[in-house]
Amino acid sequence: MSVAAIGADAHGHVDQLYVETRELRLQGFLLFLISDCVLFSSFIFAYLYLRNSGQGWPPPGIQRLDVAFAAWNSVVLFGSGATMHYALENFKHGNFMKYMRFLLATIVLGAGFLGGQAYEYNHLIFGEHVTWWGSGIFGASFFTLTGMHGLHVFLGVCYLTVLVLQSAAGVYTKGKFFGITAGTLYWHFVDVIWVVLFSIFYLI
Amino acid sequence: MAVAAVHSGGIAEHIHPEPQGFVRRYVFSLDHKIIGIQYIITAFVFFMLSGLLAEAIRTQLLNPNGGFVAPGTYNEVYSVHGSAMVWLVIIPLLTGGFGNLVFPLQIGARDVAFPWLNMLSFWIFPVAGLMLFSSFLMGAPTAGWMEYPPISLQGAAGTSMWCAAIFLVGVSSTITGINFVVTILKMRAPGMTFTRMPLFVWGQFATAPLLMIATTALAAALAALFIERQFGVPFFDPTKGGSPVMWQHMFWFYSHPAVYIMILPAFGIISEVLPTFARKPVFGYKLIAFSSMAIALLGFMVWAHHMFTSGLAPFLQLPFMILTYIIGVPTGIKIFSWTATLFGGKIHYSTAMLFAIGFIGLFTIGGITGIFLAAIPFDLHVHGTYFIVAHLHYVLVGGSLMGVFAGMYYWFPKMSGRLLNETLGKIHFWLFFIGFNCTFLPMHWLGMLGMPREVATYDPQFTFWNRFESVASYLMTFAILIFFVNVLWSIRNGRRSGPNPWGARTLEWQIPSPPHYYNFKHIPTVYGLPYDFSQPLPYKGLEEELTDSPPPVAAGVH
Ligand code: HEM
Ligand SMILES: [Cu+2]
Repeated sequence: MSVAAIGADAHGHVDQLYVETRELRLQGFLLFLISDCVLFSSFIFAYLYLRNSGQGWPPPGIQRLDVAFAAWNSVVLFGSGATMHYALENFKHGNFMKYMRFLLATIVLGAGFLGGQAYEYNHLIFGEHVTWWGSGIFGASFFTLTGMHGLHVFLGVCYLTVLVLQSAAGVYTKGKFFGITAGTLYWHFVDVIWVVLFSIFYLI
Repeated sequence: MAVAAVHSGGIAEHIHPEPQGFVRRYVFSLDHKIIGIQYIITAFVFFMLSGLLAEAIRTQLLNPNGGFVAPGTYNEVYSVHGSAMVWLVIIPLLTGGFGNLVFPLQIGARDVAFPWLNMLSFWIFPVAGLMLFSSFLMGAPTAGWMEYPPISLQGAAGTSMWCAAIFLVGVSSTITGINFVVTILKMRAPGMTFTRMPLFVWGQFATAPLLMIATTALAAALAALFIERQFGVPFFDPTKGGSPVMWQHMFWFYSHPAVYIMILPAFGIISEVLPTFARKPVFGYKLIAFSSMAIALLGFMVWAHHMFTSGLAPFLQLPFMILTYIIGVPTGIKIFSWTATLFGGKIHYSTAMLFAIGFIGLFTIGGITGIFLAAIPFDLHVHGTYFIVAHLHYVLVGGSLMGVFAGMYYWFPKMSGRLLNETLGKIHFWLFFIGFNCTFLPMHWLGMLGMPREVATYDPQFTFWNRFESVASYLMTFAILIFFVNVLWSIRNGRRSGPNPWGARTLEWQIPSPPHYYNFKHIPTVYGLPYDFSQPLPYKGLEEELTDSPPPVAAGVH
């Protein structure tokens, strides 16, 4: 393996308890992501159900979505997925400064995505056809799903900020960095959810 | 850390330091056994409360035009009764309760994978329970335990409280599910392969993914109902383009798997009790184990059998009917295996065994009426009548609750070091068995004659059987009181049980009762299935468990 052995300290001693605890946490975290995914899936089901309930789509009198803008915003989010990936890789290879730079870039891009979303919401709510949470089944499903996703991004940004502070304080070492792995997994998960949301709201 | 860290043998050997003080030991405990007991006690408290509601229902139905409570109150009473029995009693007892208490011992572990999460998920549960009951203060939900819109949209503020409370128990269940899956996958003692796991562990292993996945789906439905009620966001209101039928899909996508959450662990309990008291290896170990998994999987594909009258497209109705028939097959396999386990056994009729045998009979009746209900023509006739009430109580009381009682008589010695009184136990069993059948058997024909469920009054022609049922239900309640008396008396005065009063062979019986906080002095090695009564025990490394040798040192500090 190219990476330093998981759980080994500077002298190459392997901390068996850490290794196994990490494995438990990893598995538990993946299961958490699965159940989170079910939560999204249920709302996606609700959206598709309402959309196909024979009332015509899009419902009349709503603001149309700005697909081009959302596409650029998606690029920002996917870009942050790439920077996060490089952050983890650099940490594994011991390039601490590079890791920090990529991590900060991820935070900036994540926050940028949220800004874009705020702009988009603003456009819908105060646009020419007022479209908001309570105004019909489009608003209900759109704002609930993208809002839930936005909340996930927001929590992710907060968590990554904590990672920056922890890393600066030297919490993570070459062999022990489960916090970073979990953050990366979570961030990719949020990306993948966005792929689905983008396709079902903007593309179909 | 200045000192070199102790290098332990890893997570399986890891021991928490001994808990000090009352609060750490019994209130905010990290010990899976204590948490299990906490779940059991809390759930039994809620059981008494929802039992009182049940008796309010039966008292109302003594007379055709009711008169005990106002019709509106009656709606609140049965709605909270059903919700509480499902989410605050049966599910917590079988998963958080017996699950926590027993299965980590049975796989030879020192604790579950995430003790802190375990404590968290327990403490969410009483809070959610109090929230549910507090909904009476602001006008409790009135649309039954499934809270169909539009009635649930029109209900008083308590309906939103109901959403929040059930959401919270759901969070607790999800955490428990994740915890149990990881524990079973990763923390089994050396040699305990999947096909050597006790059947109770298999029951939990099949249930835990349902807890994780189905419960989250319900969480979405509850969140949607909540925001629709609080913020007027349209999901279910047909006047705003929403769909009430969508709620039914979302609800039953959870709640059909949830009926398996409520029965698979009970299957596990029965599969432990039967071989122990028949002194015979369980018949068809693999059949029982794998049919649980099959049920868990198929359980996700049959939800719409609750919706045959909801205007489901005919091309969807048929597959759901057929899939529901199919799920009866693994269920039947189990009943066959248990009966075959009894056949030719040297049966010892302890109270636990009586409940287990009673379970087989009553659950079979409930399962067969389930197959009736899967037949669309029959279901159209009895949907929304007392026939459904009969079916669900035969599976949930005759099945799940009898399983809980079997488990209580069986594992009480492990919890407390004392046996429950057998004489009181047998009185409990017979009164309960008779009371139960007299309460719920007549509901079958009342339902077929068309008596609707969830209505505060009824046609006078049904008076006789309703009075009969109400009186029988008092008998059943009396039997349960005897059970509580038995528990309270035996905790102080019961006969001391010693480590293994039943001569059972699973791991939890090879260590003292109650076990030490570290469970095992040495993690045992497993060589085979626990059920072969003619062979020596298939474990190594247990020699010191019942001796006075010093406890293991807490290694692996962090
Ligand atoms: C052999 C397996 C079973 C089959 C084929 C079956 C089938 C059905 C069907 C078709 C219904 C819908 C009736 C209607 O509302 O019109 C139903 C209702 C119900 N079943 Fe089962 N069932 C089975 C086992 C179970 C088990 C094991 C449980 C729980 C432990 C259970 C709990 C319930 C409950 C609670 C309801 C009523 C829900 C309500 O409307 O309040 N069933 N069952
Ligand atoms: Cu069902």
